[in-house]
Amino acid sequence: MINIQSGIPGFDQLTVSELTEGGIPEKSTTLIYGPPKTGKSIFCNQFTYNGLSNQEPCLYVSTDQGYKQVQRDMTDFQWLIQNYIQNQTIYFIDGISHLSGGKFENKNNIVSSSVSNPADLMVKVGIGTRNVYKTSNHFRSILDSLNTLFAFNPDQMVIKILKAYLRRITEAGGTGLIAYTEGITDPKTENELKSLFNNTIRLDGQHIHIKSDHPDFDEVQYFESTYTITDNGIVVNENNFKNIN
Amino acid sequence: MIPCIESGIPGFDELTRSNDGTGGIPENTATLIYGPAKTGKSIFTNQFTYKGLTNDEPCLYITTDNGYKQFKNTMEEFNWPIEEYIDNNSLYLIDTISDISKGKPSQSESFIQSYINNPTDIMVKIGSGVHYIYKNNPRFRSVIDSATTLLAYNENMLIIRVLKAYLMRVNEAGGTPIIVYTQDTADSIIETMSKSMVDNIIRVDGEKLYIEAMKGIERRSSPYQITDNGIVIK
Amino acid sequence: MKKTHIPKLDDFLGGGIPKGSSILFCAVPGVECEAFGYQILNGIIEDGDKGFIFTNVTEPQNIIYEFSKYGWNLEQFLEEEKVFFVDGSSNFMGVPPMGKYSIDELSQIEGVVLKAIDDIPDGIGVINNLSTLLDYLEENKIIEIIGKWNKRAREKNTILVYIFTKWDYDPKIIENIKNSVDNVISLTSIEERVIIGQGFMVTSASWTTPSKNMVLFFVLQPGGVKIYIPKILVTGPYNAGKTSFVKSISKKSVSVERMAMEKFPTTIAMDIGHVDHNGFVADIFGTPGQERFDLMLDVLAKESVGAFILIDSSAPQTFARAKEMIKKTQSEAIPKIIVANKQDLPGALSPEQIRKTMKLDKSIPIIPTVVNENIGVEKALDAF
Repeated sequence: MINIQSGIPGFDQLTVSELTEGGIPEKSTTLIYGPPKTGKSIFCNQFTYNGLSNQEPCLYVSTDQGYKQVQRDMTDFQWLIQNYIQNQTIYFIDGISHLSGGKFENKNNIVSSSVSNPADLMVKVGIGTRNVYKTSNHFRSILDSLNTLFAFNPDQMVIKILKAYLRRITEAGGTGLIAYTEGITDPKTENELKSLFNNTIRLDGQHIHIKSDHPDFDEVQYFESTYTITDNGIVVNENNFKNIN
Repeated sequence: MIPCIESGIPGFDELTRSNDGTGGIPENTATLIYGPAKTGKSIFTNQFTYKGLTNDEPCLYITTDNGYKQFKNTMEEFNWPIEEYIDNNSLYLIDTISDISKGKPSQSESFIQSYINNPTDIMVKIGSGVHYIYKNNPRFRSVIDSATTLLAYNENMLIIRVLKAYLMRVNEAGGTPIIVYTQDTADSIIETMSKSMVDNIIRVDGEKLYIEAMKGIERRSSPYQITDNGIVIK
Repeated sequence: MKKTHIPKLDDFLGGGIPKGSSILFCAVPGVECEAFGYQILNGIIEDGDKGFIFTNVTEPQNIIYEFSKYGWNLEQFLEEEKVFFVDGSSNFMGVPPMGKYSIDELSQIEGVVLKAIDDIPDGIGVINNLSTLLDYLEENKIIEIIGKWNKRAREKNTILVYIFTKWDYDPKIIENIKNSVDNVISLTSIEERVIIGQGFMVTSASWTTPSKNMVLFFVLQPGGVKIYIPKILVTGPYNAGKTSFVKSISKKSVSVERMAMEKFPTTIAMDIGHVDHNGFVADIFGTPGQERFDLMLDVLAKESVGAFILIDSSAPQTFARAKEMIKKTQSEAIPKIIVANKQDLPGALSPEQIRKTMKLDKSIPIIPTVVNENIGVEKALDAF
């Protein structure tokens, strides 16, 4: 199994074990979840930027923020993505900007869709995966986040969209990272959701809990530590590492 | 560096000061202020509104709890006269409640009537309000006081979608919105959803003000008092 | 009979669709489907009839914009009252509804659509999207509603077009939905790791025995649904070099890939090309090698005149699969040529060794090539 860099200082060191070298397992799917405002989007963006700066393309589906806002949020951390937008290393599906009224002009690699139109969203994901796959058969795929999808669709529909999305990116060899705010669906849906992923990362504002259930291994691996959100993004604190296996 | 606008609340900008020296409410981000009833949430946003008006930052204010008259009186109690700003159209007020009580004031360019049980109409008025304000000054503030009442009168998930659309619109236009919400008045799914939609979360409990989340800084808290001049943070 | 205005579809359906019938476009998630409904509506309105669009996925304003991108003037149809909306989206999103009818509550949908059908005798109604409706209502309820709508549409000679996305539903539900309409058209993805093509095929039609052919399509803005009928298929196990082969035998560089990606970023591009060799001109399509595509290979081969089967000469473990693929296309009596690619790699087997290992008949030519260096490609073309 190959792991890719997370881009989060301390994370790759934390996830080293007898079985793996640390980082995020390539071509796996990860759910990052936790209470509101605990750094999930920052984590996603940091992961995205690390990939881009390593020439790994990224398919970014944004349903919470429009693409301008995402770009601005990344700029706050000095993660400048303008060049990657221009040279089309990133393929951006903006599922929310249409809500703010203005007309959205599609570009080659920035396309609009709608959180309330899952069929269209999947068409764009289909085009997007092909687009990034053509550049590189390993790429990163972000979905930030499921929250707005849950606000605009019945719970079971979101699960179906998610399944279709995960199948699509996994097939193409993408490494998926999907954000979700804990507590915005009932516990049953939440459990079903978690069961769809190889790995889960939980952020609660102080602690980071990682659970990795890779099909290549017999046992589930757990890691935990504390983390801080700094001006340079999330940092996992190295003196609190715990490998609970 | 994250640019901030002055909150208008004495002590708040100091409390939220980041390493690079800025403090206040991060400009063009969304804030939720919540807490139990009668803890000063509305006073906070009124103070925020008034500060903006005196700084030439217009405000799009959606009131669902107090009609225009009551709103104006409350502001005056704290010595924040708003008549002038209503007259010069820098306070754009969408009043969704006055039609229920008597003595309906007449509409003007920046005083708009809407209906608490008609979120679609509210959204239309917000749309034109954002447009109106943005045209005059892209640096503006916006307040919804409160989401609680909207939720009480309408299907909750619809209000979540409406609030999302509201935040997207204000944000797109460059404004800085604050939403007021009374803790535990909606179910936890709705409450969590509301928190997840904003950038900053402020909680007040009557004694302390907690910055539960804010762009650019870590969690902080400080005791506060409600004085004749509004909220003061120690 | 009315024309669908979708190229080739009318031929498959025996001339078009009878008045009063119901059509279901049943799409795999990721395949473009809305364009079919909109194109049929646009065509029928241009022919002089009336219609409506029911939407529960996006606000009417966005649909008007979509139409304009296809180059169709929905705005004018609306003004002339030839088309109206049944807006099942706006109230749900908190924006002002637009159109003759709008829906505040799910319980109104059934009745409002019936009224809409009454309003446009001999016309056409498009329901976008049936799966979104299914998510909100009970399965039995939805079957009952479709039944009522179709009955009314038959009485009024109105054609109903349903857009349906085949999410991960219980197959029984999908079966029941398919059984409640007159005509089902499947929209499928052709995949090799990613979607490399989209095809449509008539699965059932109550008024005729439809031909079981598949046609590749893409959606252009402007333009709408366009079809592509490859005359030569290029197939073979995964990683045999199909895409490179398609590229190297394509003389004209008007690859739809580039055209679609650059000018029409909304569509899904395909691995297609165009051969122009010694007076022989044909469109080609690189098809995927996975087993689950075998059925599609068969229906796609019906329109074609020949096939190249690519193999990686240095990977004998894939020969069994290649052999299987030759067998699959055997039923179609079309010439086949084995392109023994990657002859430059260590351990590559010679054509004779390959013929022996695969137990291939002498009648099937095996051409040694190194596609990436353009070696042997001409010969492969000459072999036809």
